[in-house]
Amino acid sequence: MKTPLFRKGSAAALLVAFLLASAGAFVALKAATDRIVRGKQPGASIIYVPSGKFLKYATFGYRALAADLLYLWAIQYYSTPTIDDRFDHLDHIFAIINELDPRFQDPYEVGALIAVQEARDLRAAFAILDRGAANNPDQWVYPFNAGHVALMTVKDYPLAEKYFEQTMKIPGAPDFVERLRANAMFKKGDLETSWQTWLDIYKRAPDERTKRIASNHLYNVKATIDGKALEAAAAKYRDRFGRFPADLETLVRTGFASELPKDLDGNDYLYDAATGKARTVTSPWKR
Amino acid sequence: MSDAIRIRDLRKNFRLGFIPKTRPVLKGITFSVREGEIFGYLGPNGAGKTTTIKCLLGLIRPDAGTVDIFGRSSLSPRSRETLGFLPENPYFYDYLTAREFLAFTADLFGLARRDKAERIARLLKLVGLERAADLPLRKYSRGMLQRAGLAQALINDPKLVILDEPLGGMDPLGRKEIRDIIVRFKDEGKTVFFTSHILQDIEMICDRVAIIVGGRIVREGALRDLVSEKVLFTEVTVSGIAAEVFGDLGESLSVQGDRVLLRVFGEAKVDEVLDLVRDRRGRLVSLSPRTETLEDIFVETVTRT
Amino acid sequence: MKIAAIAGITFKEAKRDRVLYLLFFFAALGIVAARVLAVLTVGDRIKIIKDVGLASISLFGVLMAILIGTGLVYKEIDKKTIFTLLAKPLHRAEFILGKFLGLVLTLCVMTLAMTLIFLAIVYAHTLRIETPLLVAVGFIFLELVLITAVAVLFSCFSTPILSSLFTLAFYLIGHLSWGLELIIRKMRPGAGRTLVRGLYAFLPDLENFNFKTEVVHGLPIPAGIYLSSFLYGVCYTAFILGLAVLVFRRRDFI
Repeated sequence: MKTPLFRKGSAAALLVAFLLASAGAFVALKAATDRIVRGKQPGASIIYVPSGKFLKYATFGYRALAADLLYLWAIQYYSTPTIDDRFDHLDHIFAIINELDPRFQDPYEVGALIAVQEARDLRAAFAILDRGAANNPDQWVYPFNAGHVALMTVKDYPLAEKYFEQTMKIPGAPDFVERLRANAMFKKGDLETSWQTWLDIYKRAPDERTKRIASNHLYNVKATIDGKALEAAAAKYRDRFGRFPADLETLVRTGFASELPKDLDGNDYLYDAATGKARTVTSPWKR
Repeated sequence: MSDAIRIRDLRKNFRLGFIPKTRPVLKGITFSVREGEIFGYLGPNGAGKTTTIKCLLGLIRPDAGTVDIFGRSSLSPRSRETLGFLPENPYFYDYLTAREFLAFTADLFGLARRDKAERIARLLKLVGLERAADLPLRKYSRGMLQRAGLAQALINDPKLVILDEPLGGMDPLGRKEIRDIIVRFKDEGKTVFFTSHILQDIEMICDRVAIIVGGRIVREGALRDLVSEKVLFTEVTVSGIAAEVFGDLGESLSVQGDRVLLRVFGEAKVDEVLDLVRDRRGRLVSLSPRTETLEDIFVETVTRT
Repeated sequence: MKIAAIAGITFKEAKRDRVLYLLFFFAALGIVAARVLAVLTVGDRIKIIKDVGLASISLFGVLMAILIGTGLVYKEIDKKTIFTLLAKPLHRAEFILGKFLGLVLTLCVMTLAMTLIFLAIVYAHTLRIETPLLVAVGFIFLELVLITAVAVLFSCFSTPILSSLFTLAFYLIGHLSWGLELIIRKMRPGAGRTLVRGLYAFLPDLENFNFKTEVVHGLPIPAGIYLSSFLYGVCYTAFILGLAVLVFRRRDFI
């Protein structure tokens, strides 16, 4: 007659042993599976979602939370240098985040930052910042950042001017944006408007420093205008006589220029007979 | 002759409620059922009858004590190989037909395929469900379900049949049928263990009984020994003589027309009554000695505890 | 075989459950809707069909596993049919395994049916049967098997509603395991990190069975992962079933 206690004990012990063995097995297998590199990154199914609109409906009202989580994931994703192709869908991913929560500010700036600095994808940067501006018309940073990128990185001066103008329209935009715009105009080559703008800034300048900056720019613009006029006259002279004039007075004497302009400080321009180019006595920024 | 069932000092506590309160249900049950006998298990509601059966079937794990069926512990599934169980209520899968249900039960016993079909057919015939065999159980009446239950209890030709309140809720004809079936089991050499409230039936067919009250066995033994043949009193029906004539020989229970029903205590007084009837030229209609019944014992035991 | 007998009646009973057909109907609807949705997209239509199709099979399969699985053991206890059943010479482990296998069989049939519809629609578009899709479905099924085991485990001691919630929680945790990994990478070494590491190893990683994205977008799948994921699924399922047997063995049926 078998005693029940023994039978009960051994069956339970077997069961516990089985549980430990299977648990050990699956823990080991998980570690092994983790080591295998898969084509897709965990959580990266988001890349394949067609658009944020779809996700908006799928998240059942928890859109802002979804945007947060997605943004958190995106930060980890983009700070993982081993994922070679992580920039392929930069705009797409950030577009989804923006769509889910248009008022979530950080993703616009950070997305654009990643686009410019790391991905070197300027189209994406502009797309993100434009979205930011469109969704947050009260935030001047977005067109400002876009203008900055246009000015410094792309060197697309008309575009920069456009963005700075857009920035200036938003209440709360700082003063210096105006000056950046004027500078962009100058770089663009629209000297007349640039002069007018700087003059305007000079007249409205609230402090000495701004006045001086405006004055320097005015000097620079005038010097550029004057220099262009002088060089054009010198070129005409050369066409006529086969060589550049020896000095600027020659131009007046021979009727290629009506009078010699002076710089904003009243000084004459310096002239190089060999190249036919005029330049200023001093640098505009060191007056 | 070995013991079909051997229970020694069986104890079980129930832990109920969110903050567990321990309630002792079985407080040291000890009894045996010998092979080949019919054993009745009685007790008031809540005494622990069903809990004992569940311990027998391995549905409940005892806190202490042993429960053996033909020498095997009830905790082992093997102890149930030669066991048949009919529950109080039909707890069957109602989407199966009787035939499917019996086939499934046969599979659980590991019955060989060729035995299966023949045995199912025989059992269906035995319990009278041949025509309804392919109807789903949910379409069965209570009586039919009871019969299906009996069939599934016998599918493995068990040596021990356990029945929980088999006679409950049946009309007198049904009760007689069940009694006859149980007696037939005994004739076939099976052991029968059943619980019941209906004491007359137990008295009629049981060899031994145990009475459980409040989780303890208070009486156990052969029916013959428990219920003495002692005559409690005699009921005498007499006609043609007025009740007053008998005086204090007997208690006058009823008077109908010229018939008098007396309750007489003691054999000597019965003789005196009979003499009186003869002397006065009366007529003896009936004489019934009333012996101690199981009910008397039961009531006395329960109220005493 | 006793396990087979119980699996058989479990299959019979699950077959009768209307929830099954309702979910199947919605799954079929989802797959067909993919076809309709695809009309709206610009570009490659087949990707939408495959995406939605696989997602439907997965989602509705999981719902089936949870909704039916959590009632499997509970119903037997509630209706007391378990009394008659366990009064037979049956190990409790055989009962659990039988119930589990019966539902797995049911899910197998339903998954096959959904897959047939899915493949038919894909075929109508591409005139090709793509084996990678079958692989994705195969692993979806493995995930369903594991979820079924979990549902059966909870069904052993909890009501269907609570069991459903717990099983759903298991499913969600299983798909967010990678989040734990990200956290571990950012944590400083110490007791906290060891604890989270332990959790990460022990909690289920259901993404191991998720090949939907790769299959639909034609990304390469490294060969070793098939065996590794399959064995992982088998071992975890075995573990859960072992737990279920452990819980069920000691249970008293009052």
